[in-house]
Amino acid sequence: MTLHTHWLTRLTLTCLCSLITCTVLASDHTRTLTHALGNTSITGTPTRIVTLYQGATDTAVALGITPVGVVDSWLEQPTYQFLREQLANVTHVGLETQPNLELIASLQPDLIIAAKMRHEKIYPQLSQIAPTISIDYVFQFKDTVQQMGTALNRQTQADELLNHWTQRVADFQQQLKTTQRNTPNTVSLLDFRPDHVRLYLQDSFAGSILTELGFTVARNQGSHNQWALKLTSRESMPSLNADVFFIFKLTDDPVTQRVYQQWTQHPLWQTLTAVQQQQVFFVDEVAWSASGGVLGANKMLDQVYQHFGLTP
Amino acid sequence: MPKFYTVRHAALSLQLNLKTLSVLALLLPCVLACVLLALSAGSQWLSPLTVLNELVADGRYAFVLETLRLPRIVMAFMVGAALAVSGLMLQSLIRNPLASPDIIGITGGASAAAVFFLSFLAGSLSVYWLPVAAIIGALLTALIIYGLAWQGGVSPVRLVLIGIGLAAGMNAITTLMIVLSPIATSMTAYVWLTGSVYGTNWQDVSRLLPWLLVLLPWAMSLARSIDAQALGDATAINLGIALQRDRLLVLFISVGLAGAAVAFAGAVSFVGLIAPHIARLLVDRRFASLAPVSALIGGTLVVLADTLGRTVFLPLDMPAGVFVAAVGAPFFIYLLYRHQQ
Amino acid sequence: MKQTLNITMQRSLSATDFTNSPTLSRLSTRPLQLLLAALLLTLAFLASLAFGQLSIPLSRVITAFTHYDGSNTDHLIITTTRLARALTALTVGAALAVSGALMQALTRNPMASPSIFGVNAGALFAIVLTMTVFSISSLQNLIWVALIGAAVAGGMVYGLGSLGRDGLTPVKIVLAGAAISALFVSFTQGLLVVNQDGLDSILFWLGGSVSGRDLSLLQPLIPYGLAALVLSQLLSPHINVLLSGDEIAKSLGQRTGWLKLAMGVLIVLLAGSAVAIAGNIAFVGLIVPHMARAWVGADYRWLLPMCALLGAALLLLADLVARFLIMPQEIPIGVMTALLGTPFFIYLARRGLQNA
Repeated sequence: MTLHTHWLTRLTLTCLCSLITCTVLASDHTRTLTHALGNTSITGTPTRIVTLYQGATDTAVALGITPVGVVDSWLEQPTYQFLREQLANVTHVGLETQPNLELIASLQPDLIIAAKMRHEKIYPQLSQIAPTISIDYVFQFKDTVQQMGTALNRQTQADELLNHWTQRVADFQQQLKTTQRNTPNTVSLLDFRPDHVRLYLQDSFAGSILTELGFTVARNQGSHNQWALKLTSRESMPSLNADVFFIFKLTDDPVTQRVYQQWTQHPLWQTLTAVQQQQVFFVDEVAWSASGGVLGANKMLDQVYQHFGLTP
Repeated sequence: MPKFYTVRHAALSLQLNLKTLSVLALLLPCVLACVLLALSAGSQWLSPLTVLNELVADGRYAFVLETLRLPRIVMAFMVGAALAVSGLMLQSLIRNPLASPDIIGITGGASAAAVFFLSFLAGSLSVYWLPVAAIIGALLTALIIYGLAWQGGVSPVRLVLIGIGLAAGMNAITTLMIVLSPIATSMTAYVWLTGSVYGTNWQDVSRLLPWLLVLLPWAMSLARSIDAQALGDATAINLGIALQRDRLLVLFISVGLAGAAVAFAGAVSFVGLIAPHIARLLVDRRFASLAPVSALIGGTLVVLADTLGRTVFLPLDMPAGVFVAAVGAPFFIYLLYRHQQ
Repeated sequence: MKQTLNITMQRSLSATDFTNSPTLSRLSTRPLQLLLAALLLTLAFLASLAFGQLSIPLSRVITAFTHYDGSNTDHLIITTTRLARALTALTVGAALAVSGALMQALTRNPMASPSIFGVNAGALFAIVLTMTVFSISSLQNLIWVALIGAAVAGGMVYGLGSLGRDGLTPVKIVLAGAAISALFVSFTQGLLVVNQDGLDSILFWLGGSVSGRDLSLLQPLIPYGLAALVLSQLLSPHINVLLSGDEIAKSLGQRTGWLKLAMGVLIVLLAGSAVAIAGNIAFVGLIVPHMARAWVGADYRWLLPMCALLGAALLLLADLVARFLIMPQEIPIGVMTALLGTPFFIYLARRGLQNA
């Protein structure tokens, strides 16, 4: 009984505390964020932000903010279709790998969102331009939402985004369990390239989401932070095997299309489970890989719903 | 009027003739003009006058000029100068105008070490250790080359042949590591392999500077021996040169210069090959004359290449190495053509 | 010193040791040696068909050709992927080795080979240029592009190496080749940095690969390759004469200019198409002629077929190892050959000078 009260009191206290933090955050007080490249103090609500990786740009839009500077997108250059409307007149500061520091400085931002894997070397200069926060890897979309929510004083919206995501994941799992007779277990995500086929692993953006949805995705063996295997020989086909295949829509490039034909017309292809059960789907590379943000993740989930004939 | 001016000071004994001095006097303003141009150019063009003003009294462009452009330009210049002198020393040592640090495997060794770092250690170690890895790679490669070329003494021919062989091996190892590494790092590795001074800060500059401050004067102090070595082994020994000892020294100073430069800027190629050739067009064939002129030309070459790299494709920032090759290669071909005439 | 080295290296290539004293025993064993090499090649070929991610027993490899069964997975793997791959490795290996041997004769330089001569780098640059700038990526067209690149680079190295009073010395050739290679490699890297998106597609190719090539791709090249091999075989007696020196050859009535031109064209044809099919595969053209020379001597009539057999076997074996090290991915075969070739090259550099 005492234990129970104790627990209750603690909960109340925590609630109170978080309420207080919320009010503190809402005001112009300085808060310190701990991130992948150190601690950064931010005062007030930043309004001019520069996002240096795709996931951060996507998340800014999700939080209802238009950045003053963004980097070029990987596909559908210079901006992904689904973000074009919101980012119509935003300055581009170059490539994600080497953004133009002078341009960033000239935009006079009050917050920069970076990623350690890309921007560790220029972090000192970035911090001199404006307070800069950084996540470890570009495809950690939940970290991005959380960090940006705190940094931008939009904690409530950030929590909403993440809660909404958690609910959707739960709903999907529920629907899948009730509607499918044999719940698919293993999933492979493939990308046909001019001279090889890429098998995305658990640590990739889409791989981590599929894992969260309850599927088993191929895992990396050995080296850390490896997020895809490059397969060149059609003999390797058995190592793709899974109950469901998701394949990135092919580009117009005739060589890629030929590689696709070579692989799919190969007799070994017919022996794969997903092919035999006709569970091969084409998906949109932007949502499934290149966007790397919470909006992209939701678009991806929409497509997963759709492929299993479920309603989101 | 004396033809030569001799500077004698303990270990340092240099002979500079009037022509060299006048070439240097003409070259210096040109170099400064290039640096000023490089400071003016960028995402926003600032007039040279504004630049000078801002450098004296800090104004609204102080950050862009002093934190973003200047360290990068200084770094580019130092890298170019170091590679040029390194190339010049190797060309004298090997007695062949086609030798340079990238061709005999020094750059290859640094690259293999750097790509190894980027692929397998970058997650756990800070990126500031990258130059250390690259320098270790360069020195290790030089040691291996020297060791393999040793047969009761080291001959230049053996040195260069073994260097080229090892360079090919190092390139294979680099390719192997890029293939094995996570896909995300292969782009970073490629930018490094092309050579770029992107994102240089004053701390980087202050870490490269000591290398040059020690090695360049040291190289100058060996000027007489380097000239003697270029005349052939027998002549050098007759002139009282401790041939094997000096050869080792020259090799390691040149490796130190190239390794340090490459460590901070990546595998910039061609500077070490071309800058000494341009210098030979301007001054006489003695090391004491060629070294300062090569250094100025090499430095300017990289500064100009980097300026092109960060302005031509705005807002994209291209690695300087691309433009060094683009400017250097046609010139190299012109040199060959001239040779043939 | 350079002079003496040059002379010794030339002597090791010169034809004197067999034209003056063709020992009977050697003559009679040569066919046997060729037979042995052919046997080795056959074994390598069969191993290449049998081993991979799935190991297939040899008996089934043979039945795949004698009693083909379309529903048998093993048979399918052999006929659809492994056969094409083995044939590619075989063709490329033979072409590279023969072009290396021809180069060594043409330049009288034991260190000459397509990769040292910058031919690989030139062909690769031409390919990457057309792929990124003109977006041509069908391999049929790329072969022609590669031939042009190979010819340009080879010509530049030859020209650059023969500058100066002492002519084509081994050291000058090697340095010229390294410089021209560096030139084209930095161009290639520049293009790759401009076109980040295409990078990973070209990357594997830079390392060289013989997998994923269809037989249909190889077919149009086989007549050229065979013609080049036969032609070089026909030229081999003349090459022997050429090796005894330009003066002697001319005094014997040989048109050395034409012979050299023909050899140059053959080299570019063989090496260029090998790069076009399989990317950057280094050192095969260097190692194999030396192995063959140690076996059958310097008579090009025997040396060239030996090179073709051994080159094919070497590349087949290298490809076999490349499949196993990081399964299910593969190591680029060019990396394998370079790792094999580097120690050999260094050995050659050291030995060449010890004799001097």
